[in-house]
Amino acid sequence: MFRHLCKLVWNRKRVNFLITLEIFISFLVVFGVIVFAVYYLDNYRHPLGFNYENVWAVQVGIEKKSDDSDRQRLLDTTKQMLATLKDFGEIEHVAAVWGAPYSRGNWQSGNTIKGRNVRFWGNFMTDEAKDVFGINIVRGRWFGKEDDGANYNPIILNQKTARDIFGDEDPLGKNPEERFDPDPDGPSPSANREPKKPERVIGIIDDFRKNGEFAELFGYQIFRNTLTMPDGREPRAFVMKVRPGTTAEFEEKLVKRMQAIAKDWSFEVKTIAQMRSENHTSYYVPIAAFGLVAGFLMLMVALGLTGVLWQSVTQRTKEIGLRRAKGATATRIYKQILGELLVITTFGLLIGVLVVIQFPLLDFLGFATKQVYLYSMLLSLALIYLLTIACGLYPSRLATKVQPAEALHYE
Amino acid sequence: MIQLEGVEKVYRTDRIETIALTNINLNVRAGEFISIMGPSGSGKSTLLNVIGLLDVPTGGKVALNQKPITAYTDKYLAQMRNEELGFIFQTFHLINDLSVVDNVEIPLLYRKGLSSADRRKRALEALEKVGLQSRVYHFPGQLSGGQQQRVAIARAIVGNPKILLADEPTGNLDSQMGDEIMEVLQSLNRDHQTTVVMVTHDPRQAEKTERIVRLFDGRQVS
Ligand SMILES: Nc1ncnc2c1ncn2[C@@H]1O[C@H](COP(=O)(O)OP(=O)(O)OP(=O)(O)O)[C@@H](O)[C@H]1O
Ligand SMILES: [Mg+2]
Repeated sequence: MFRHLCKLVWNRKRVNFLITLEIFISFLVVFGVIVFAVYYLDNYRHPLGFNYENVWAVQVGIEKKSDDSDRQRLLDTTKQMLATLKDFGEIEHVAAVWGAPYSRGNWQSGNTIKGRNVRFWGNFMTDEAKDVFGINIVRGRWFGKEDDGANYNPIILNQKTARDIFGDEDPLGKNPEERFDPDPDGPSPSANREPKKPERVIGIIDDFRKNGEFAELFGYQIFRNTLTMPDGREPRAFVMKVRPGTTAEFEEKLVKRMQAIAKDWSFEVKTIAQMRSENHTSYYVPIAAFGLVAGFLMLMVALGLTGVLWQSVTQRTKEIGLRRAKGATATRIYKQILGELLVITTFGLLIGVLVVIQFPLLDFLGFATKQVYLYSMLLSLALIYLLTIACGLYPSRLATKVQPAEALHYE
Repeated sequence: MIQLEGVEKVYRTDRIETIALTNINLNVRAGEFISIMGPSGSGKSTLLNVIGLLDVPTGGKVALNQKPITAYTDKYLAQMRNEELGFIFQTFHLINDLSVVDNVEIPLLYRKGLSSADRRKRALEALEKVGLQSRVYHFPGQLSGGQQQRVAIARAIVGNPKILLADEPTGNLDSQMGDEIMEVLQSLNRDHQTTVVMVTHDPRQAEKTERIVRLFDGRQVS
């Protein structure tokens, strides 16, 4: 029977071509939306690397001279700010960071290792950041007093970057810069300013996904910010773990005090939870919009398909009547109509799959891992099959209502 | 072989009631070749459909091969149509998108336990019986009317039914092609003892059969 169905479908290829095309296009659209959704969901289930409950961020705007001549002053103000904030009963821990979680902007760096690209985002944090965020150290240690005045710059990597740079080797105590390919243009002009201390990996963290749960799983490095010259940096945000139950009224008190210390700085207070939900919205909105468009398209396709199938059944009453007269039960007719539809659908989907598996080769949708890609493909296939079957149910039932005597009666 | 006892058929629609058959009693012996004649609208097709289990009589009893039809359930009817009966229509009713041999195989698709090779073999045998072995992979549209009707006959006999029912099989053909079809039916009747019931308007063809049943206004007049 299967061969018979295939033959029927093939011999009616001119009629079935349009349905195949429709299914093919639907598959591409559905896949496009699903691959994003699956990608985000896959990112979501990976650990975030920090806690955001009861963590507040005060993002600061600093007017800064372009020649760095005022840096010493900025660092002193920052230190004073930290000390003052620490005195608040409401604040358990406080740290200065370059980028607060869910804030905009990434400090990105990277290099090549034997021609392979290694990229990572970075952050500069003062020592207490570990307690503010409850960062989990997988190996080694966090920054501490032992790093003061050392002849190296301590750095902490997330597991991905540790793997990207050192593979299966133990990264602790090693210098990532030694692994990078030499710069073909020779040392950069900044290199002859003053000799820099070598970097040293002192710890590995789970992760620190500053851009949030949905964002790309990316390499990460954390640099110690001692707020002293020459390497200290003025922060872009203060982050603080507040006591549970701290209310929004504290915000006013906080800003007032901070403003008193640095009159020309601007402050914006937000809870990380708030920033998180804003960040999430920025993902939901486009996905929902695309989903809606795709859903609408699916509806159109479904209606069109139902119509086409319905019409095809009415056009084929004679054939159906004939088959009934030759011994087909109503069930067989039902299965035949659905079966033909499945053959056509499978054909359209087959072409779709063939096209979609070319994408990674063309480096299109390259952000998705193999699993994400495969999952999305299976999900899209299932969805389209469900859709076409749903469209075929009513027309197939209609076909079972054909009475042979009537269908074969007159020309 | 075919026994009808007091068969009635009334078509009821919302407004009108058409009595198509009244008190038909018919007994066709195994291996007999009979024709049914009568003016248009006298109930010939209706009678054939009742015999062929395509239509349910409003009253009376029908038995095929000594098997009384007691329950008109879908599954049972389908099996009876498939195994006991072969139907031929005035307008052939071939599926244009299938080749000749695929058309002939159709009844075998609805039979259990046949491999595709078996089906193909039987279909080719049936086509040989109607003299169409050279047109196996043609499509119906590429054949003459007489050839198409022979394909329909091959399809009707491919399952080796004991009974062949033909509703004006020569009605759409010129007299020469009609004669050819009659010869095919006669040879099937003669060589394979197939019981044939044929509806016809053509007295010339009817005379070639053993017995003529005449209908008038839904009544059996001879
Ligand atoms: N499905 C139906 N619904 C209502 N009336 C019907 C139906 N089928 C047939 N009839 C009526 O039953 C009567 C017998 O019809 P039938 O088709 O059996 O005649 P026939 O002898 O085969 O005619 P013809 O020689 O024109 O084919 C006619 O009056 C016809 O109008
Ligand atoms: Mg008729």
